[in-house]
Amino acid sequence: MGIDFQNVIEGLMVAIQPANLLWVMIGGFLGTVVGMLPGLGPATAVAVLIPITFGMDSTSALILMAAIYYGAMYGGSRSSILLNTPGDGSAIAAAFDGYPMTKKGQAGQALTMSAIASLIGGLFAIAGFLLLAKPLASFALEFGPAEYFLLFLFTLSAIVSLSIGNMVKGFISMSIGLMLSTVGIDLQTSVYRFTFDIPQLSEGIDFLVVIIGVYAVAEVLYNYLHLDRLKPANNKVGKKGISKEQWKRSKWPIIRNGPIGFLIGVLPGAGGSIASMLSYTTERQISKHPEEFGKGAIEGVAAPESSNNAASVGAFIPLLTMGVPGSGTTAVILGAVIMLGLRPGPLLFENNPDTVWTLVNSMFIGNLFLVLLNILLVGLLVRILNTPPKILYPLILVLAFIGTYTLSYSIIDFYILVIFGLIGLAMKLLDFPIAPLILALIVGSDMEQNFRKSLVAHDNILNVITASSVTITLAVMTVLSIAYPFIVSWFKKRKAKAA
Amino acid sequence: MFRLIMPLFFIIISIVYLVLTFDLPKAKIGNANGPLYFPALIGFFLLIMSVIYLFQEWKKRKEVIEEVKQLLTGRTPYLIAATLILIFIYAFLFERIGFLYSTMLFLGALLFVVNGKKHWLQNILVAVIFSIVTWYSFAELLSVSLP
Repeated sequence: MGIDFQNVIEGLMVAIQPANLLWVMIGGFLGTVVGMLPGLGPATAVAVLIPITFGMDSTSALILMAAIYYGAMYGGSRSSILLNTPGDGSAIAAAFDGYPMTKKGQAGQALTMSAIASLIGGLFAIAGFLLLAKPLASFALEFGPAEYFLLFLFTLSAIVSLSIGNMVKGFISMSIGLMLSTVGIDLQTSVYRFTFDIPQLSEGIDFLVVIIGVYAVAEVLYNYLHLDRLKPANNKVGKKGISKEQWKRSKWPIIRNGPIGFLIGVLPGAGGSIASMLSYTTERQISKHPEEFGKGAIEGVAAPESSNNAASVGAFIPLLTMGVPGSGTTAVILGAVIMLGLRPGPLLFENNPDTVWTLVNSMFIGNLFLVLLNILLVGLLVRILNTPPKILYPLILVLAFIGTYTLSYSIIDFYILVIFGLIGLAMKLLDFPIAPLILALIVGSDMEQNFRKSLVAHDNILNVITASSVTITLAVMTVLSIAYPFIVSWFKKRKAKAA
Repeated sequence: MFRLIMPLFFIIISIVYLVLTFDLPKAKIGNANGPLYFPALIGFFLLIMSVIYLFQEWKKRKEVIEEVKQLLTGRTPYLIAATLILIFIYAFLFERIGFLYSTMLFLGALLFVVNGKKHWLQNILVAVIFSIVTWYSFAELLSVSLP
C-alpha cells in the first residue's frame, strides 16, 4: 500500500498549525459565500479569490484554494436547494430534488442531508486519496514525453466530449485555448511567435488574467441577463434535523456514490458534473420508488451531493500526481499554484511530500468545518443568500480588478481583463463551453513541449502513439472519448426505434 | 443569417493563424521548423471544426438564439454598457487617485446603476465599507501593495 503514515502524521501536524487552520476556515467560508451566489460556481470563487494567496507560502496557498473549492461546492448546493439556481454543473443534480423539498417546506432537512452526504462522500475520497495518490505518482514518474503528450490529448478530448453540449463548439473552444498558449517566445528555439512586436506578449498571455476575465467578469455580465428575475430566498428553512426514515433511505445511496464520485473525479476530464448526474440517474434507476424522484425524494439530494464532493477531492489526484487538471476549477487552481512556483507532477511527491500530505489533512479538517458551518449556521447562510445579488455582483467585479492588478501592477491588464470578460460573455451566450478553453490554455505549452520532444525521440507520430502500452491505452481512450457521444446517441436511436 | 457570423469568424481566425504560422521565422537552434508544427496542427484543426460548425449553423440559420435576444432586451444592454464605461473610468483613475478612493467611486457608481437609486444609503455604505475593508486586508494583512 502506498500510505506512508509518517508523512501523513507530519502533514496533520502542519495542517493543524493555527495559521493553516485559519486559512482553511477563511477559504471554506469565502468559498461557500461565493458559491452560494446564484449563477456563480467554484471556478469563479477560486478565480476571484486568487489574490489572497499572493505572498503566502505555496502549501498554505494550496490549502486555501482547496478550501475555497470545496467551500464553493457546499455553497453551490445551498443555492441549488433554496433557489433552484445551481452555480455550476456539479450543483445541478442537487436542485432536482432539493428545490422540490424546499417548496414542500423541508429546506432545512435537504440542507442538512446535503451537508452530511457531502461530508461522507468527501471522507471516502480522502481515504481513496491516501491509497491511490502515492502509487499513481510513482507510476507517473515513468512517463516520458510521449506519455504526457497523449495524456494531455486524452484530457482535452475527454473534457470536450463530456461537457454536455455541442462537441464541435467544445473543440473550437479548446483550439482557441491552445492558440493562446502558443503566443510568446518558443521555449526550445527562442523564436518569437504571434507577439506582433508587443513586448508584453513575449512572455505569453498571462493565463490568470484570462481566467479572472472569463470566470469572474464574464459571469457577472452574464448574470445581468437574469438580474431582475431573481427571487429572494424563502427565509423559512423549516426543521433542520433529519428523521430516522430519511436517514435510512439515504444511507446506502450516500455510501454507494462516494466511491463512484471519487473514481470519476480521478479521471482527467470528468468532474463533479458528470459524477453527480451519474449518481442521480443510477439512484433513480435502482430506487424502489423512482416516481418520487424529482418531487423531493431525499436520496435524490443525498446521492449527487456525496458523489460530487468526492469527485472534487478525487480531482486533486491527477492534478497533483501528473500535473493534469481534470476540470475547469482544478485548471484554475493549477494556474494559480504555477504562479506561486509550485510545479504539480510526480516529482511533487518526492520533493514536497509535506505539501501533499498537509493538503490532504487540511481537506479532512475543512470538510468537518464546512459541515458544522453548514448545519449550525444555516440561518446566517440563508441571510447571506438573501443579500440582493445586485449588491454582490459589483463586489465580485471589484475583486476581479484588484486580483488582476496585483498580478503585474499594470493598468493594461484591466483592459485585457475586460476583453476576455467580453469574450467569455459571448461564449456563454452562444453556448460555447469555457472549461476546454481554460484547460487548453494552461496545459497548452506543456503539451507542445512534450509533443516536440516525443517527435524527436520517436521520429514520427505513429511511433509516438505506439511508444509504450501507456501511450496505446491513452490513444484508445482518446478515440473512445471522442466516439462516446456518437455511441450514446446511436444506442438511444436504436432504443427509440425498438420502442 | 446572424448565426453564420461566428463560424465565419472562426474560419477567418484559423486562416490568419495558419498564415502567421507558416510565416514564422525559421529557428536557428534545433529543428528549423520546430516552432511551427504544433501551431500548424491547431490551425488546421480549428479550420476543420469551424467548417463543420458552419454547416451545423447553416441548417439552423432561421432559428433565433434566445439568450442573444435577451441580451438586447430590457435594461441588460444599458447595464453592460454602463459597467464597461465605469470600468474605463476606474482604470483611468486607479493609479492617479489611488485604490481606496477610486474603488469607492467605482463601486458606488456601479451599485447606483445595478442596485438602483432607491437604495442610495445601502449603496454608499457598501461602497465605503467594502473599499476600506479590502484595502485594509490587502495592504495591511496580506501586504500586497496597492496604489
